[in-house]
Amino acid sequence: MGRMTRGLTVDPSDSAPLWRQIEDNMRRLVASGALKPGAAVPSVRDLAKELSINPATVAKGYQRLVDAGVLTVRRGEGTFVADKPPVPPRGEREKELEAGALRYASLAVTLGASNEEAVVHVRGRLDFLRKKREGGAE
Amino acid sequence: MSVLEVRSLLVRYGGNPSPTLEEISFSVPRGSVYALLGRNGAGKSSLVRCLLGQQKPTSGECFLFGEGVWKRRARLMAKVGVVPEDPDAPPSMTARQLSAFCAKLYPSWDAPSVEARLARFGVPAGTPFGSLSKGQRALVALALALASSPELLVLDDPTLGLDAVARRAFFEELVGELADRGTTVLLTSHDLAGVESMATHVGFLKDGKLALDEELETLKARFRRLRYANEATEDRTEFGQELADFDAVRVKVRGWGVEAIVSNYEEESFARFTALEGVVDAESSALSLEEIFVAIAGEASPGRNA
Repeated sequence: MGRMTRGLTVDPSDSAPLWRQIEDNMRRLVASGALKPGAAVPSVRDLAKELSINPATVAKGYQRLVDAGVLTVRRGEGTFVADKPPVPPRGEREKELEAGALRYASLAVTLGASNEEAVVHVRGRLDFLRKKREGGAE
Repeated sequence: MSVLEVRSLLVRYGGNPSPTLEEISFSVPRGSVYALLGRNGAGKSSLVRCLLGQQKPTSGECFLFGEGVWKRRARLMAKVGVVPEDPDAPPSMTARQLSAFCAKLYPSWDAPSVEARLARFGVPAGTPFGSLSKGQRALVALALALASSPELLVLDDPTLGLDAVARRAFFEELVGELADRGTTVLLTSHDLAGVESMATHVGFLKDGKLALDEELETLKARFRRLRYANEATEDRTEFGQELADFDAVRVKVRGWGVEAIVSNYEEESFARFTALEGVVDAESSALSLEEIFVAIAGEASPGRNA
């Protein structure tokens, strides 16, 4: 379990609600290939215990991931990463990409980074994630 | 239906000119984890005693499962598990003996669960209660409180004075109980970090009144810290009006600019704020529950409950 949840941490003092942090972090683990399609994810109970948070909060995050097709529930077996990565509707996908970009752009501007510098980091991380996915290394 | 409801509660102690609790009304929905916060002397203990039917309020009433607590205490308490702040039991009795004693009082007592939980906690079931550490006594109290499969769990500052290991064990067991049975919980605590990750609702007692009663998520969304610099410009005539759109709980003028804690943050109003003449480098950041607590209570620490 520890291995699967590695990288899935939450910060109660963050402005984002805990269920949203779980949702985002799980998405990130799937996107990076750290959690492969078909991989088992911890039960709501186990993850709640590990993170010391209300299980209803974990359940809410999981439910959103199930609704979005990132996770699937197999009755009696548990919760798994979906076999096929979800393809959100076009408009929604666009919106999410924009929102994520805006968050990063705000950070870059706050830190006084030039556009060129900011773009270099985006490229670097994209390459890193794609290599991880293809290489299959954790 | 609410598991617990408090209506217009007033508690006044003889000789005390101002009431200890005044006009307290709130309810705890089924399945929620309601954290009751407040500084020393805010009235938490009096409120908990009223809720459990241990004290008759001067006026107003508490209801458990829709029934008045004061009149039906004996019957209602069978559905409530309580972990007091300082668990008390005959010092010579072991946890096993305490469990056997309680089994006679509760029709659905789960004695094996007590043994199983104590084993998980690493607390010896055969050691006299008086010889256990504070943390071990709290864990015994939790194991006993859960053995009757309560519909409501009342925890009165249960992790106060526990070491990290006992605290972790306590929360793990609580999480398991919430996951398995969806038990409704009312807790008071000074451990705001623990509360922050467990509570769904927060009530805040201040000077005998309920200053706050809302969902934790809503509370955290509306409280924010703003930082900005005030710049003199040609078009600007006055300072100090820039926060007019916000309910500022605290404002501090610092060397680099202004820091304010506002209680009605919204993305839109912040966007308008950043566009105001002379407001520069505005940023907003989230507050932890502890920071919100301090902002409301006006003191550095919630302190220990007397």
